[in-house]
Amino acid sequence: MPQQTLGIRVASVTDIPPGEGIAIDKSITGTADNIALLRDEDDRIYALDDTCSHEDASLADGWVEGGYVECPLHASKFCLKTGEVQGLPATRDVCPHRIEVRDGAVYLFPNEAP
Amino acid sequence: MTLPPRSVVIAGGGIAGVSSAAALRVGGYDGAVTIVDAGDYPHDRPPLSKDFLTGKRDRDDIVLQPSDWYVRHEVRLLTGTAVTAVRPGSGAVELSDGATLHADRVVLATGGRAARPPIPGVDSPLVHVLRTVEDAERLRAALQSADAVMVVGAGLIGSEVAATLHGSGYEVVLVDPMRPPLAAALGMNVAHWLHDLHSLRGIACVQASVESFAEDGGRLRVQLAGESQPRVVDLAVLGVGMVPDSDLAVSAGLEVDRGIVVDVGQRTSNAAVLAVGDAARTRVAGTLLPRTEHWDAAQQDGARAAATILGRPVPPATASWFWTDRHGLHVEVVGEMAAAANRVVRGALGTPPFTVFGLREGRLVAAVAVDDSATARVARRLIDRAVAVEENRLADPDINLRALLRV
Repeated sequence: MPQQTLGIRVASVTDIPPGEGIAIDKSITGTADNIALLRDEDDRIYALDDTCSHEDASLADGWVEGGYVECPLHASKFCLKTGEVQGLPATRDVCPHRIEVRDGAVYLFPNEAP
Repeated sequence: MTLPPRSVVIAGGGIAGVSSAAALRVGGYDGAVTIVDAGDYPHDRPPLSKDFLTGKRDRDDIVLQPSDWYVRHEVRLLTGTAVTAVRPGSGAVELSDGATLHADRVVLATGGRAARPPIPGVDSPLVHVLRTVEDAERLRAALQSADAVMVVGAGLIGSEVAATLHGSGYEVVLVDPMRPPLAAALGMNVAHWLHDLHSLRGIACVQASVESFAEDGGRLRVQLAGESQPRVVDLAVLGVGMVPDSDLAVSAGLEVDRGIVVDVGQRTSNAAVLAVGDAARTRVAGTLLPRTEHWDAAQQDGARAAATILGRPVPPATASWFWTDRHGLHVEVVGEMAAAANRVVRGALGTPPFTVFGLREGRLVAAVAVDDSATARVARRLIDRAVAVEENRLADPDINLRALLRV
């Protein structure tokens, strides 16, 4: 399937301000959860499952800085690259997804390891 | 040169105690770590007044760390056991089961107990408090056969309990002698608005103090000051603060002054014993600060205690941060609103999302953000970095506040 090799075009880089994120609906990604595209201050973009593993909050609304995203509710921290939890109150990792940036567009490869 | 400590015993498995253990391991400490706690397992407490109370989440959903975390981090967890004495001279830590542990360093993370003020009838089983998982389970069970509930105290815990129970369909009376409660923490305007939300949502708010509780045929008669007749409810919940547990510190001869007195590195008056969390009270440059009773502060205490034990520089204090949830609103407070000389509103007060900033001499000292988490995060960093700010820029929702950090 061409989609598997090209990914799904889900956003333009300019849709995501540095240090912030946007959520891509699961109806587009075909995943169990929405997927958060998160842009670090160095402009690198990462994709993680959007729902915090602690309570019902969108990581796309979180604070992105220094390789981590902080949940907007209680500031649980997750590694942007791996989804590994780095700070309470969450205790479980969130799933990372592979993305590619081509010609200013973000292509998502749901459920593929980054 | 003194040898680095090889064994640490942490008395208390709340957020402060567990954070201390975690920070030791993150810092590379490879000696023994033991957490001793009288409860059945370390749980997170913020959900107790919210999703745990409604039954949406249970014990397994609110563990501070899953059991494999303790295994992976080689943290020994002794539950159902209390520390009964700490003897800093010999390093002995005596336990309620008769055993004695040896500790090069002891961390007192003993927290406290919910206050029960000396009101007649306050010890009735129909008068509940909310501090531990066990308290919450007792209350949950009692709520099964209750319709009308009185919540005494409209501070953080009382307001959360009142809002949660109202949301679950209980008839709630919320009593507090102050109007509005939390004025110092939130600023007068936000405190009024938040408190008035209770009445708008259908909670009966009464400005009064409680004179007595009395059981009567399985129900509770509560006499409020200034009322001619007692109010009859099925149960009451007290949310009137906590009493720090400093018994171990007192018997070990450590300095205690309404809390276990510590320095900025969490050291008590005996350098082999540290104290963290709700039980600790910090002295900075000769001045005793008020105790902080917040989740994030307890976690930071743990990080400082670990740094001290490891002989590393202690992380600097950051602006305080706490959150509270009521009636579907997420309220965050950073810094000290009482220190503000003037205030600026971003957005419209009373129409979330909005934030009220507190300023002093051109610097931010506090912010209260309602459903406005990103602004709270910026505010905390603006305070910590002492960035000079202009009021009109803070107030302008079209200005991305994050840009203020890039100066």
